[in-house]
Amino acid sequence: MTNSEIMTIHQALFIVMALAVLGSAIFVVTTSNLFRAALMLILTFFGIAGLFVLLDIGLFAVAQVLIYIGAISILIIFAVMLTRGMQGMVPRNSQAVAAAVTAGIIFAVLLLLFGPFRVTVDVARWPVFSLFAGNASPRDVGGIAWTPPNQPIPAMPETYIADFGRSLVDGNQYLLPFLLIAFLVDVVLAGAIFIARQRRPAEIIEDRRRQAEEAAEEAEAMRQAGMTPDVAPLPEGAVASTAEH
Amino acid sequence: MDLINDLLKIIGDFIAGIINSIFGFSPFLADLVTMGLAAVMLCTFAALSFMGLTYVERKVVARIQDRVGPNQAGPFGLLQPIADGIKMFTKEDTTPATADRWVYNLAPLVIAVFALTTYAVLPFAPGVVGTNLNVGVFYIIAMGSGSIVAIIMAGWGSNNKYALLGAFRTVAQLVGYEVPMLLNVLPVVMITGSLSLVDIINQQTTLNGNPGIPFIVFFPFSALVFLISGIAETGRSPFDLLEAESEIVAGFHVEYSGMKFALFFLGEYVNALAVAFVFSTLFLGGYAGPVLPPYIWLMLKAAVVFFIFMWLRGTLPRVRVDQMHNLNWKFFVPVSIVHLVVVMALMKLFVTSPALAQANGGVLVTPGAQAAILFVASLLILIGSLAVVARRARILRLQEAAVLEQRRAENIAAVSA
Repeated sequence: MTNSEIMTIHQALFIVMALAVLGSAIFVVTTSNLFRAALMLILTFFGIAGLFVLLDIGLFAVAQVLIYIGAISILIIFAVMLTRGMQGMVPRNSQAVAAAVTAGIIFAVLLLLFGPFRVTVDVARWPVFSLFAGNASPRDVGGIAWTPPNQPIPAMPETYIADFGRSLVDGNQYLLPFLLIAFLVDVVLAGAIFIARQRRPAEIIEDRRRQAEEAAEEAEAMRQAGMTPDVAPLPEGAVASTAEH
Repeated sequence: MDLINDLLKIIGDFIAGIINSIFGFSPFLADLVTMGLAAVMLCTFAALSFMGLTYVERKVVARIQDRVGPNQAGPFGLLQPIADGIKMFTKEDTTPATADRWVYNLAPLVIAVFALTTYAVLPFAPGVVGTNLNVGVFYIIAMGSGSIVAIIMAGWGSNNKYALLGAFRTVAQLVGYEVPMLLNVLPVVMITGSLSLVDIINQQTTLNGNPGIPFIVFFPFSALVFLISGIAETGRSPFDLLEAESEIVAGFHVEYSGMKFALFFLGEYVNALAVAFVFSTLFLGGYAGPVLPPYIWLMLKAAVVFFIFMWLRGTLPRVRVDQMHNLNWKFFVPVSIVHLVVVMALMKLFVTSPALAQANGGVLVTPGAQAAILFVASLLILIGSLAVVARRARILRLQEAAVLEQRRAENIAAVSA
């Protein structure tokens, strides 16, 4: 296989993947059917996994499929299905304009940062740009050449998975971010369990008692103020059923 | 002897040679055609084994239930799969009036595609593998999780409440059982030091030049949990809650008929067979074995594992939803984590390679001794956790019995009063 042919195949595959990503992404933001939007988002993720494969990082491609398609998009679909009526009513996206504006702003910022246009900004007035522009030329942003380099791109080393794993537990590399994310995930898990845990019968009874007391106090206060309570105190069963689920 | 042992490889090389001579003008085209042909062959293999497995499963389950099974079509009913196929083809292909047409029609295709992609990384014999991915194990689990998407598409697209309920159950079950599955692949990956299935088999074949020990000896706990989670992942009985006929009619595929239903059926069987293959590869040494050719060994091992699936299907009643989730989240996941930590510590403590012992410390032992240590540790964890569960189950059972007894006494008192 000649070198030029390899380039052609890669370019062809890249174009297919990029079109899939862009097309499905546009569909996601333009369709009014939220469920189809979520499904198209899965196609977008799949296209990105394909781009990872083209970049020779199989690990990230597979992780993309496992985490984004297998978990996150499923969660999104669940959120879509559980928040709007399950049957009959098709969920609609009513915030298309806001989403389009946000996406446009993000795209503009990305183009500014990573695009070929060199823009000179007054960092004194916009200190946020010092984060991205680095120390080399704090007043210039962007100006990254988009033309591919002439020399061939070096292949991924065979041991990149092991290297990646080691870099996560290396104090000089990514140990701190790794631990921070692990801590964050732990906290989120504990919080989710705390919110969703099944309440013990004693707690449910206590809740019911307190709620009844509050309702009685409120009614008493209203009676003293000379008004009739317009809301009846909660029936016993209602409190119990909300507490149990 | 070599001809028989390397039969698959020789046939493959022969076909590749023919294609290379036809497409000699463009190596790229030759590669493309060879790979396409290999993919078609893998898919055909999966589809044919699906046909065979439906027949065998019906026969085996029938014998377990003291029936005869299919025996009318052809000798011993051997033509039954073909008759079923013709029936499926000629059935009316219905689409619900209120269905989301695109989603509804794409779902069976997606599930079949995700099921078949698994076979791309399975090694059938030395050198006979679709592609030796260096993330093979990870890839298989990722593709398994892809079928969740297809089932949700089917459940939503059908616009049927039973279908949607089935999809909900599926998500809870499949996402949940991915966790113990991954946690129990990890010991194998750690001891091999690679995610590639070929490397994992090589490690079991020649352990530093010695005769190989399959990983089921190293990690019996992992093997058991992987097998059970595999059954749950593919939604087979006793974990077939996603299509429980007595509860939610037929779950996510209630609205499907004809070939679309057949594709769901194919997805289930192909996935189950893939789990059997992966289990044989990870824990039973894959195609490695004496005397017989490697591909025969792999088929034998996978057949034994699949027979266990059928056996469980024929004997066990369907578990309840809460039982299924309790088994996963309260037993498999915590014990798997404990097992992982213990095994990890033991592997650091007792090393087999002198270089590692020099670099990181640890006691240098022979591979056999390491296997024995890990086996004892894994088995102790298995027995210990089972003992805890058994005691807990006994307490719960006694409490339940006491409550029932009290109610009965109250009832008798009420009736006699």
